[in-house]
Amino acid sequence: MNRGAEPAHPAAGALVRLFHVSKSYLPGSWALRDVSLEIQKGEFVFLTGPSGAGKTTLMKLVFGATRPSEGQILVLGRNVGRLGPAGIPALRRRIGVVFQDFKLLPQRSVEENVGLPLDVLGARPREKRARVFSILKRVGLQHRRFHHPLSLSGGEQQRVAIARALVGEPEILLADEPTGNLDADLTLEIMDLIVDAAARGTAVFVATHDHSLVERYGRRVLRLDGGNLVEDLPVAGAGR
Amino acid sequence: MRRMLARGRSLLRAAAAGLRASPTTAGVATVTIAVCLLLIGAFALLVSNMERLLERFGQEIRVSAFLEEGLPVARQRALLERVRMAPGVAGVELITKQAAFERFRASAVGRAALLEGLDENPLPASLEIRLAEDQRNQAGLRTLAEALRGIPGIAEVGYGHEWVEGYARAVGLVRGIAVAVGGVLALATLLIVANTIRLSVYARRDEIEILRLVGASRSFVALPLLLEGLTQGLVGGGIAVALLYGFYRLLLPSLQGGLQLLLGYMSPAFLGGGALLGLAAAGALLGVLGSAWALTQGGTEA
Repeated sequence: MNRGAEPAHPAAGALVRLFHVSKSYLPGSWALRDVSLEIQKGEFVFLTGPSGAGKTTLMKLVFGATRPSEGQILVLGRNVGRLGPAGIPALRRRIGVVFQDFKLLPQRSVEENVGLPLDVLGARPREKRARVFSILKRVGLQHRRFHHPLSLSGGEQQRVAIARALVGEPEILLADEPTGNLDADLTLEIMDLIVDAAARGTAVFVATHDHSLVERYGRRVLRLDGGNLVEDLPVAGAGR
Repeated sequence: MRRMLARGRSLLRAAAAGLRASPTTAGVATVTIAVCLLLIGAFALLVSNMERLLERFGQEIRVSAFLEEGLPVARQRALLERVRMAPGVAGVELITKQAAFERFRASAVGRAALLEGLDENPLPASLEIRLAEDQRNQAGLRTLAEALRGIPGIAEVGYGHEWVEGYARAVGLVRGIAVAVGGVLALATLLIVANTIRLSVYARRDEIEILRLVGASRSFVALPLLLEGLTQGLVGGGIAVALLYGFYRLLLPSLQGGLQLLLGYMSPAFLGGGALLGLAAAGALLGVLGSAWALTQGGTEA
């Protein structure tokens, strides 16, 4: 519906802006086609659509894992398509990412896993310990900080992944099917943590297949299909 | 400064954590480096002893400048000094008529008939000239002989052509084999070590991927891995040096008989400090190059 159109939301304070962005991995086929949108500070956005719709490509474009074939992407005021080799890591230090398969290091403790972004940021050990403890307390896992990920349940592992994504106090949080491997109770537990991050001012993208979540949380929805942005609904469902 | 120290400490911690996290792959890489360097070290030991043997043979190459009959001792000594200064000369010894006769008599023990009927000493005084190492070849000898022939007071110049040719061939052969086999061994070592380290880096691709996701710079990812490669290389090089010395001490007594036959009175020598340091440094270099190659093969791209 919004394909090719200018963003429907005001530009002031936008952390992410896409201008007619297209992405093609193979000649003649488009993973994303002529998408324009804006995401504001503290905004919570669901990214929905069937498999292959372009949700993951959109997220990859935002954190600089791939570059647009056409169009411009501004993230935190930086043109992602023009960032040099040092620019991409610097951008990623301001973005938290959560994956469906958690992507935790099994041989490192929970504390070490969560502390990785702080190592990258060059935090002092004492500061790092305090911040890791604080974020683990927020996700309810402070008592498990010396355990290894494989000794935790799926829900606990995803909470560790969220703690890792949030420990650096990112301005943007990208969550790609964060509840895809979890049962209904754990799904709500994880979603509450992500909603809480948005409430603290982080712009949040959540890619999901789960319509019940979209209905339950009643937030802005971007629906992709075949690489096209076919719907941009400011608020969906009943809300909560 | 404090920030740099903190970064250095964090780098060391990251490298140590990496080695602890995958001790098997790190161990395999270290042992591979050790075995490869042990082979190179053993070859270097062999070549260095062959070079010593050739050096000893080379010292036997001498040019004799026979002096004119009746030359006063003062002139003989002046000639000695003049020849000593000539280019390509490593040392000169004056053999007087009397000394030449004594030497001949000593070498003719059991062949007394050779000395029968000699009323006077027929042997001339001579200068025995040792050549500098780089002149121990046909060209060097010919140049020196020509120079000597032009000096008044020198009647004749002599040296063994065949011996010199054989020596030059032997030196060329040993050095050629050393370069060819050493080159192949070094290349094989580099490929094996680089591939082993590449596997150990590949085994940690998840960690590298996650580090890149949380915003680690290329150097943040690469430096601990290079440091790990350096550590594995140094330890591997150290093990190779220790094993080489161990085998040398262990095997030397049983090889003593054969070596005496080959080397004569010269006893085999272990590699010098420089060569041993070189071996350990080669290990470190291999470790770093292997890691660097592994990283360029796709370990750290976005």
